Amino acid sequence: MAGITYEEAAHLLRRMGFGGPPEEIDDLASRGREGAVDYLLNFSQIDNRSLNDLLQISFDFSNPSDPSRFNGGEMQRWWFTRLVHTRRQFEEKLTLFWHNHFATAISKVPDLLMFGQNLTLRQNALDRFDDLLLKVAQDAAMLVWLDGITSVRGKPNENFARELQELFTMGIADAVTGEQNYTEDDVKEIARAFTGWKPVPPRDPNNQFGFGFVVNPSEHDNGVKTVYGQTANFGGEDIITIIAARRATARFLSRKLLEFFVYPLTSSSSDKVTVEKFADVYLNSGHSIKELARAIFTSDELFSDRARFALVKSPVELIVGAIRMLGGRYNPGTSGRQENANILAGLSGLLGQELFNPPDVSGWPHGLGWINTANLLMRFTYADFLAIFRTNNFDAPGMWLTQDQLRKYSRSSSKKTVKNFLSVLGPLNVDSAATRALRDYLQTDDRGNTVDFVADDLTIDKKVRGLVHQIMCLSEFQLS
Amino acid sequence: MPTTRRQFIKRSAAMVSVGLVMPKLWIREARGQTIAADRKILVIIQLAGGNDGLNTVVPYTDSRYYSQRPTLSFKDSELKDKQGASTIISNEFGFHPALTEIRDLFSSGRVAVTLGVGYPNPNLSHFLSMDIWHTANLTGLGSEGWLGKYADVALVGKVGLPASSVGGVLPKTLYSNKVVIPSILNFAFYDFTTDFNYPGDSTNQLNTFQRTAGRNIASDTYNGAINSIGLEAVKGALQVKSSVANYVSSVTYAPDNPLAQGMKMLAQIITTIPEASLLYVTLGGFDHHSDQISHPNNRVDKFSGQHAGLLRWFSDAVKTFYDDMAQHGLADNVLMMQWSEFGRRPNENDSFGTDHGTAAPLFVIGNSVRGGVYGQQPSLAATNLDIAGNMKFTVDFRSVYTTVLDKWLGVDSKSVLGASFENVGFLA
Repeated sequence: MAGITYEEAAHLLRRMGFGGPPEEIDDLASRGREGAVDYLLNFSQIDNRSLNDLLQISFDFSNPSDPSRFNGGEMQRWWFTRLVHTRRQFEEKLTLFWHNHFATAISKVPDLLMFGQNLTLRQNALDRFDDLLLKVAQDAAMLVWLDGITSVRGKPNENFARELQELFTMGIADAVTGEQNYTEDDVKEIARAFTGWKPVPPRDPNNQFGFGFVVNPSEHDNGVKTVYGQTANFGGEDIITIIAARRATARFLSRKLLEFFVYPLTSSSSDKVTVEKFADVYLNSGHSIKELARAIFTSDELFSDRARFALVKSPVELIVGAIRMLGGRYNPGTSGRQENANILAGLSGLLGQELFNPPDVSGWPHGLGWINTANLLMRFTYADFLAIFRTNNFDAPGMWLTQDQLRKYSRSSSKKTVKNFLSVLGPLNVDSAATRALRDYLQTDDRGNTVDFVADDLTIDKKVRGLVHQIMCLSEFQLS
Repeated sequence: MPTTRRQFIKRSAAMVSVGLVMPKLWIREARGQTIAADRKILVIIQLAGGNDGLNTVVPYTDSRYYSQRPTLSFKDSELKDKQGASTIISNEFGFHPALTEIRDLFSSGRVAVTLGVGYPNPNLSHFLSMDIWHTANLTGLGSEGWLGKYADVALVGKVGLPASSVGGVLPKTLYSNKVVIPSILNFAFYDFTTDFNYPGDSTNQLNTFQRTAGRNIASDTYNGAINSIGLEAVKGALQVKSSVANYVSSVTYAPDNPLAQGMKMLAQIITTIPEASLLYVTLGGFDHHSDQISHPNNRVDKFSGQHAGLLRWFSDAVKTFYDDMAQHGLADNVLMMQWSEFGRRPNENDSFGTDHGTAAPLFVIGNSVRGGVYGQQPSLAATNLDIAGNMKFTVDFRSVYTTVLDKWLGVDSKSVLGASFENVGFLA
């Protein structure tokens, strides 16, 4: 099987995951395009025992009603532990995509339900879209988030009916034709179809996150509804089946996946052709998310020059990616109350992305929406923290970059050292002006004099750490 | 010795901490700047979570208040601060006993209370109701804040730091399409931080950043845009850092009062950056579904507990900040406006708390206000409550915004709010 280049493999790993160390990228490169995609896509076959062992000793969610052991902060610590330590990178990236897509937040929904939703997203992330959508719609978190629990016959709540169409499936305007996908009457009629949907508290004492679901017949509107011109006694499940089969949904979902994983789309006719191509994959594969994902990640679009560094990293991508690429360490400790145990979640919030707490139902910003003066300064501060946090005690919770790890990538000259760290953190393709500035930095002492670069312990502790900080402040590093 | 984040913050904070006690005269000399007489500063104080309006401005002559709240209500004889001085402000209303300093400011004519502030079809979701207040858009779907829109009209091209929030998240009120408005968590982080183990290298670090971010890259690319925002951010942060380092005051902000600490940051910005005009700070924790008052061993103590504690913080922070502004000769130039996404339900629940409500009183504070009580208290009569048992608003919150925009910020409120609303009258 023909291999792919190191740069291509690094690009693929940044998109299907969060990037990784050189050894992982070499391994992916040797598998070829289809092989590498299949390896990442079939993540359930990847041995993840080391993560599971770590989760076992770091968390105790056996009694979710104990707020000292289970709470929103602990959930964030749990997810960041997974993000950094998992070998199943695509599982986390895709779950993050769905979390953003079905944006639900602990600002309104109880922690317990938010955690249950995360498990639902994971378990169904690659299923048929109909199945995922139905599971999410019947999940207690969504029923609370968009007020389904208060929606009863005679007093339907339109919140879910509206967002189901506007944000989760089709969009107000068609992603290709721009035509209006539904009317206000459709919203009202669909709201009636979802009346009486109720979560059922967990019955299994061993699975306290497993809420059940029931349609309460006394609260459900059993009358006929007219939806998209069809008239029948539709229930919520029928509506989901109808919407999932619409071409508008195929287009909307394709566009959203392309913009999250490949590159921003324009209104050009060639980009519309691209959306249509993937919409066909969705419709021809029985709405398989897995087949749609396989088509996207093996596509020439993903491997095009246009896609390379075409996306702005989210805070989670930036934070997790830097640690993974550099071989940094994150010890989550055994409780969020330990100092620095939950540092990644804390920093991520300061950069503008609090997991389990997207700002609203439309999800987090994207593109340059992530960048403003305050959170860009925080990105630089994170770069500084990761570069300079040192420890002698690996048993203590926190995040560090060890001297050994830095020594591993340091070389005998400033030129090779800069080149090597630019490669580890990307590989980033930067111009000679930046390379020159970084080399000058390595060779400038405190008085501003030019000195020889010698990769001894002091220089590594001072200047190579400084170099890592500087590279992570480059505009190029903010991009994926 | 491992470096912890907390140590880092402590050390950084020490670098910018001032807090020297200086005689007032010296401060004026040291500042050496004259205050533009027409400088108008607006400080927004958000009480997040839904502040209980009925127990903030108590309608102590309304028998229905007592029947709805057998446990939580304050009798007129209980409306006394901890020195025993009455907090009654009129023959109908009294402030919560924790609002000692607000009562003092009210007595000197510097507090306007607008009663019954809310909006039609009240939403009981924190999130949506906050968005409605933030954006002044009743669907809650607006993407720009009402003061962000004001910034688009009035602050484009202003140098320095014309608007800022303090805290980890920029409130939607300040979302602007045209003006970059930061939210500063603390001044130590609003900085280009470098390795404190090697302070001698920090100049090299800063120079290197300025070289790489200053590269010639087309501005219509992500790289170009990020570099220009980065340069602006670092430049602005260094200016803020060097400016706020000039802050001196003999006023002490209570160290354990988070709102006071936030307002100290506002004071540092306002007194050292002449362009600063829109400032924002948030105190959270008002969502008192339970234990609004303390009840050790079922012995009810209305004067302590969560709500009293938060209002004490609010009152103390406002007064400290007011005194600081006065010391800097800025008391006439600052207007404070408080808001909360909703009040709480008249009928108390069974957990010593109250559930989400609707209309509530709103404070506007400053030397320029015409002190007094405005608007009309919503009726607590059962027939006048809505289906959820909540009060019907009497003053649209956009009327308060209108008053502030027209009479304080000096813009046409219609250009910001898209429609005209009644002037409440608390500003001349």
